[in-house]
Amino acid sequence: MSESAHHPAATSPVEQRVAALEALLTERGLIPEGFIEQTIHRYESEIGPMNGATVVARAWADPQYKQRLLADGTAAIAELGFGGAEGDHMVVVENTPAVHNVIVCTLCSCYPWPTLGLPPAWYKDPPYRARMVREPRELLAEMGCELPEDSEIRVWDSSAEVRYLVLPQRPAGTAGMTEDDLAALVTRDSMIGVARL
Amino acid sequence: MNTSDLGVPRQNGELVFDAPWQGRVFALADAVVEQAFGGDREPFRQELIKAIAAEPDRPYWESWTAALEALVPALPQRPAT
Repeated sequence: MSESAHHPAATSPVEQRVAALEALLTERGLIPEGFIEQTIHRYESEIGPMNGATVVARAWADPQYKQRLLADGTAAIAELGFGGAEGDHMVVVENTPAVHNVIVCTLCSCYPWPTLGLPPAWYKDPPYRARMVREPRELLAEMGCELPEDSEIRVWDSSAEVRYLVLPQRPAGTAGMTEDDLAALVTRDSMIGVARL
Repeated sequence: MNTSDLGVPRQNGELVFDAPWQGRVFALADAVVEQAFGGDREPFRQELIKAIAAEPDRPYWESWTAALEALVPALPQRPAT
């Protein structure tokens, strides 16, 4: 067990429980060699909102890609090489001057991992999960996303069956920009729908 | 708007995991989904929903840990391999 020698002794109760789980699952043969480290590395360095930003920038730059993205999110996102766990049933919803979309998971933390990485802390917290359904306009304003009174807000509840990604509106004054430059404008929060660009 | 964070291992400046044990328990669930349930996330997700509903104010990764603990009795003794 040279691997565990690299880790400091578990101290808090929850760390002890996690260490016990790891020992048990390893004993059952369910943890392939190096799996834990590889998974953590992947989510910390390769999977994140930069992937979703690439998708959004392509949709802004290529109208035909945008059509495919809105018609079949999973397939269009896979064209760019993103897919896998928690990204099987992607639906992309487009913001327009009249309609603002925002995503939530009311029951747990369903989220499009391949395009946005793991959800931020507030996405998993009870106040966000409950209030985004009940009073989206108020909560969005509190999060710094003020919307015109006459705009429609659509709240999409993610589940195991469907993961949503918001296609933000392309900012004005970006006509001549390359896809890479466009992608750099796209924030995680704009793809959740709690911010505008 | 700060766009410089997009390329680094953070989510708009926010670290993915606040502590090493959170990353480990996340990856443990991933292993169980892959190795014991053939990639089907639903059994774990149902436990996570129950764990969060049981103690809504409990820190998220602790609920995640409780969900994984609850799933252990349902695991096969040996992997299908």
